[in-house]
Amino acid sequence: MRCRPPRPRSQPTDVGLAVVCEKTGVNSLKIGISGVRGVVGETFTPELAVALAQAFGTYLDSGRILVCRDTRSSGPMVRAAVLSGLLAAGCEVVDLGVCPTPSLQLAVSRLGAEGGISITAGHNPEPWNALKFVRGDGLYLNPMQADELLDIFHQGEFAKAGWERIRTKIERADAVAHHLEILSGAFDVESIRTRRLRVAVDCCNSSCSLLSPRWLEALGCDVLAVNDDPTVPFPHAPEPGPRTMTQLRAVVLAGRAHVGFAHDADGERLGLVTETGEMLSEEATLAIAAEIQLRREVGPVVTNVSTSRGVERVAAKYGAPFLRTPVGQAFVSEAMIEVGGVIGGEGSGGVIVPRVQWTHDSSAAIGLILEHVARTGERLSELAAALPRFTILKHNMAVEPDRIYSLLQRMRDELEAEKLDYDETDGIKVSWPDGWVHVRVSNTESMIRVIAEAETAPRAYELLDWARDRVVK
Amino acid sequence: MRAIPTLKISISGVRGVVGESLTPTLLVRFAQAFGTYTGPGVIVLGRDTRTSGEMVRQSVVAGLLSSGCRVVDLDICPVPTVQLLVRERRARGGICITASHNPAEWNALKFINSAGLFLAEAQARQLLDIYHQGEYRKVAGAEMRAVEPSAGAIDLHIKTIMDALGPLRAERRLRVAIDSCNGAGSVVAPRLLEALGVEVVPLNVTPDGLFPRGAEPVEENLGQLSAAVREHGCDVGFAQDMDADRLAIVSERGLAVGEEYTLVLAAQYVLGRERGPVVANLSTTSALDAVAARFDCPVYRSKIGEANVADEMLRRGAVVGGEGNGGVIYPRLNFARDSLVGMALVLHLLAESGRTVSELIAELPRSFMVKEKLACRSDKIRAALRMVRDAYARWPMDLRDGVKVTTPEGWVLVRGSNTEPIIRIVAEAGDQESARNMVEGVRERVRSCFET
Repeated sequence: MRCRPPRPRSQPTDVGLAVVCEKTGVNSLKIGISGVRGVVGETFTPELAVALAQAFGTYLDSGRILVCRDTRSSGPMVRAAVLSGLLAAGCEVVDLGVCPTPSLQLAVSRLGAEGGISITAGHNPEPWNALKFVRGDGLYLNPMQADELLDIFHQGEFAKAGWERIRTKIERADAVAHHLEILSGAFDVESIRTRRLRVAVDCCNSSCSLLSPRWLEALGCDVLAVNDDPTVPFPHAPEPGPRTMTQLRAVVLAGRAHVGFAHDADGERLGLVTETGEMLSEEATLAIAAEIQLRREVGPVVTNVSTSRGVERVAAKYGAPFLRTPVGQAFVSEAMIEVGGVIGGEGSGGVIVPRVQWTHDSSAAIGLILEHVARTGERLSELAAALPRFTILKHNMAVEPDRIYSLLQRMRDELEAEKLDYDETDGIKVSWPDGWVHVRVSNTESMIRVIAEAETAPRAYELLDWARDRVVK
Repeated sequence: MRAIPTLKISISGVRGVVGESLTPTLLVRFAQAFGTYTGPGVIVLGRDTRTSGEMVRQSVVAGLLSSGCRVVDLDICPVPTVQLLVRERRARGGICITASHNPAEWNALKFINSAGLFLAEAQARQLLDIYHQGEYRKVAGAEMRAVEPSAGAIDLHIKTIMDALGPLRAERRLRVAIDSCNGAGSVVAPRLLEALGVEVVPLNVTPDGLFPRGAEPVEENLGQLSAAVREHGCDVGFAQDMDADRLAIVSERGLAVGEEYTLVLAAQYVLGRERGPVVANLSTTSALDAVAARFDCPVYRSKIGEANVADEMLRRGAVVGGEGNGGVIYPRLNFARDSLVGMALVLHLLAESGRTVSELIAELPRSFMVKEKLACRSDKIRAALRMVRDAYARWPMDLRDGVKVTTPEGWVLVRGSNTEPIIRIVAEAGDQESARNMVEGVRERVRSCFET
């Protein structure tokens, strides 16, 4: 699959409530199902983090809660606010320090915690930060649970521990060692070790710096790590994709690496560079993971409505059931558990490998890919070349907030009139044999996102224009 | 009936009950207001051992970082250690997390300026204005500073004292009982005493914030210390409060000599080394005047409150000062009420004079103090004070803080509280009965004021 580099997508894709920041006129705060996200120094204030932590502590009956963070410079501030809110709510707090979100998600059950808070804005730029709420089984809160949490938050009545019950100190624990243990048990480490693969990795100076190089070393790889210093700022946007992988590409070529891996800030998304130096679209990561997994076992594949059809084709090739959910990791995770999915994830580069856990885990995706390369000797460029070729275009249209939903409704009416079938899983998605276009509301900004994919570039542009015309008409 | 509010926001800081009024949101906002007030720079943070300390600490750290400050975090340490560090680090200010002598369910923030002193009234009012206005300085993530742990602060505090005063030069090794009330003094006092070269009998030095006794170092809370002094044949017993700014003394006979005498004995040692003005607040014992007179040094009186005493000390160039509640300020070492400095001064006095605590007290003029509280609606306080002023018009009077009347028998101070609807009456005289009579006299007159 060769994709045109996407135009800059400024904001993440989630469901929820957007709040306009009056100061800058942009939506720099988002309270939604994947947590709460905002720009520090503007909307993401310590009071907000305190109140959310109090609400979460109240929601989880003042139980044991894990906390971790990525390496953003606002991390210590947000951490302190979260710790104070949790302690005030009577929680027992276990601080994992700087650590990837998937490590925390695995640690929740091992440490007998009721849940966790990961302080990370994932792939958002440095000025942002966010709280992601993890429940007792290691998954993100689902939309219903997120609503319950937000109701407590908005109501503002929190559990308050008096002096006799309040916890007097913060426990500490390491989640990375346990994560490495789980990873080592899930993959054929021996086969990988014997191949002594040469692997380049870009940790974006974030929490994966503490996990990924160790994991690759455990796999016996010759590791060429760049940006693996968690004490310095992000070297580029923490969003794996062709735009951010040029340095990694150079390392792959110069070091003659078998593969290059790029991490986001908290260990969810993975970007790939082939041994020939091709920077694959983030959409390719899941497609390649699906190709690998389905060769081992055929089973349901789950992704969201906005993910490339490449994944669908791969599933079809192996006769695997294929399911699309609304955009948002919680939806994908829960659907996978429900249908017993064998592989899943999102077009952003997030891959769910069920033998590790039911949530995006870039280290698990690395294990899956290296295991395949080691066992079969197949090159990453060969895997990439075998993928169905599509052009995917992503376009954002700024629209006044009060017009957004009426525009979408008008588009639905037109489609009804034209007797065109459309999918309403999340927004409006219209599909043809050779492509599709998906129109949905962004919740982070006052805009409508249009994503079009087709087998040829002209057709993709045609579909994009077709949808845009219907929106702005 | 309206519930009694547990939150007090005043010029002496913010205090409240954990689990009720002292919420993390409130604390974060106060810390932001302080960071806005001081501007970006180093802020020194310390706390006593209360169980809520960690929660409060995290709130304050979040607020300070958000407003662009760099936090030097001393964690559990005495208030005077924070004050010392503010000066040492040339910090913009400091925050102490302690409700001093309040019971365990309370906690509070106390704010320190760049001189290492508690905010003066005008400064405190400015801080409160910023707090109430609610517009705090907020920096972007990239401008945010780190938290710097400072494990060396306690060592520095001990070193400062030892460098200036040195180990004791006594003919025999003194034995000292120390009761730190499981408070912040627990982490310093035993170490300082060891350094001074005494044999230490430690009591309540587990810094867990579980109060083994009432936190105020007053006689009714010193039974355990008195017993330990007697049992172990100690030369002296020292009691600290939770944040280790106040110090009380138990004599070698196991008697609490009264916290008024801490400053008197400390001043006696200081004035023996260097002469100069002495400053105390209006309600401090006149025994201090007797000691100062021995060295031909003047005593100046200030309004009640550490900030006022410190202010007067600066103005007068005092060599020593403090308050009758056991707060000793020795500016040469630390411009702060410092129980550790107090201990070192008193021990040096014992060692160099070769006398016992009882003997030293016996050398002072005998005087007795009676302290009384009287409930009084706040709108009646001024009228009551005017009544006292008229009734005692023929005696010399000091009107800086309430009414202080000096009579041939002694003195009586009548003042309204800043924080509660009460009038405080303190009298000191040569014998118990006279002091009691003076308090009764005031009480009668004030009561008549309410009835008419």
